[in-house]
Amino acid sequence: MEGMLLAATSPLDHVYQWTYQRIGIGAGDSVFTPGGQITLVSNHIVMQIIAVLLLVLLIPSFARMRLTGDTVRDLTPRGFGNFIESICAYFREHVARPVLNEHTDRFIPYIWTAFFYILFVNLLGLLPLEPVTRGLVRSVYPDAHHGVGGAATGNIWVTGTLAACTLCMIIFNGFRYNGFAYVKHFFQGPIFIAPLIALLEIVGLVAKCFALTVRLFANMVAGHVLLAVLMSFISLCYVGFGAVAATGVGIIVVLASVAFNMLEIFVAFLQAFIFAFLTTLFIAQAVVIHHDHDEAPERGSEGPAAVPQ
Amino acid sequence: MAVYASGTDGTMRLDRTRRLLGAALGILLLTVSQASAAENGEHPTLFTGDLGNIIWSLLTFVVVLAVLGKFAWGPILRALQKREDFIRNSLDQAKKDRQDAQARLGEYTEKLDAARAEGTAIVQEARRGAEEVKRKIEEDARAEGAAMVERAKREIGVATDTAIKELYSVTARLSTDVASRIIRKELDPKEHQRLIAESIEELQMLSHNGRDKN
Repeated sequence: MEGMLLAATSPLDHVYQWTYQRIGIGAGDSVFTPGGQITLVSNHIVMQIIAVLLLVLLIPSFARMRLTGDTVRDLTPRGFGNFIESICAYFREHVARPVLNEHTDRFIPYIWTAFFYILFVNLLGLLPLEPVTRGLVRSVYPDAHHGVGGAATGNIWVTGTLAACTLCMIIFNGFRYNGFAYVKHFFQGPIFIAPLIALLEIVGLVAKCFALTVRLFANMVAGHVLLAVLMSFISLCYVGFGAVAATGVGIIVVLASVAFNMLEIFVAFLQAFIFAFLTTLFIAQAVVIHHDHDEAPERGSEGPAAVPQ
Repeated sequence: MAVYASGTDGTMRLDRTRRLLGAALGILLLTVSQASAAENGEHPTLFTGDLGNIIWSLLTFVVVLAVLGKFAWGPILRALQKREDFIRNSLDQAKKDRQDAQARLGEYTEKLDAARAEGTAIVQEARRGAEEVKRKIEEDARAEGAAMVERAKREIGVATDTAIKELYSVTARLSTDVASRIIRKELDPKEHQRLIAESIEELQMLSHNGRDKN
């Protein structure tokens, strides 16, 4: 029974979405609208809004630092602006340019946005906000089980939406830059196996985006669960071996979780990078079609801005 | 078996192990029960979410895309492009400048070599001229010296001849004079002595006069 009491908080509690308020939208019961309702406020949604506020407030102010009018000052970034710009320049020069070539500057804002959005949400998820904000949340929603905290990218609906955006970008720009050639490039090989290849290509395309969804989701969940499980060792030891053993294990566990937190900061950057990197590759595959057959490549070089705003 | 062999202590350890296992099992059971409870909408699962999340994610993402696209990515992209152009232009310019400098260096080196050769030629020419002048001056001086010596010799010779001629004529006159006096009167020794002294004196005077004339 002691075990049951101590384990009252599951290690997964930190990664769940805790819904605070739902609203009915007059739709039937479905996966998307359970009970005809949708979530209006949850811990993940609040985290996303905080991330957006930070992004919108911080990054433009750093970008504006550059616009002084002085040629030399404008060309030499400093401080945090330099940090942002280094990342941007890296994506532009080393990720996008090799695959997107002349289309780089058209798609780079989307790639940068995907990276920084995911990065900020990931990093915010590492802050132990939940115990701090629980009281605040309960003052608004008295029935709330959990405070605001956790990584919204540990929610498969969030990562799925982001991956769906990428899928839309892939298909939309594939058509825009290649038109019918984009459809045609699905049908390869001899005529009798072309439909099969096309089916596989389409499944592959969806699978790529599904992999984007799951990769980010699983990595974020795993990191947070790992940290929670590490911490639970302390209570397990207390139950099993008493206070002295629990203290000893606690020291090791705290040191280990510091190390794992470092790892999680790295993972936050890494997963944001992987998402943006793969998005770039997938868009490039659709926009820059390599024709193996005798047909000359046709590309729409001019068009409206690539970013759907 | 070792647990039973060590008596009370072993029993305690067994008890702890049992409690540890119980706690772990408890966590597992609770997680499972929570997961099953979630199916009724009571407790969240890892996959809790709905259209609301999609809408919010889309909304937040598009807001970030729009705001940053306008206020951050634009300036950053322009700055990156500007810097790229600046660096490319600077490199091009530097390359061009270097080529210019190389060309100019070659040009100047050539000019310098030519000037040096010319200078050397001028100096050699001047040296040759100076040698020439020096030799000429020496030759002239030598010739003039020789001419002067020659003239002096000639003048000395002329003077000597004149003096000898004069001496001859005076001596002849004196001899004639002395002879005439001897013939005119007999001479006592005293008178003889006086005449000789007188003659010598005359001779000396004459020779003096002759020398002065010269």
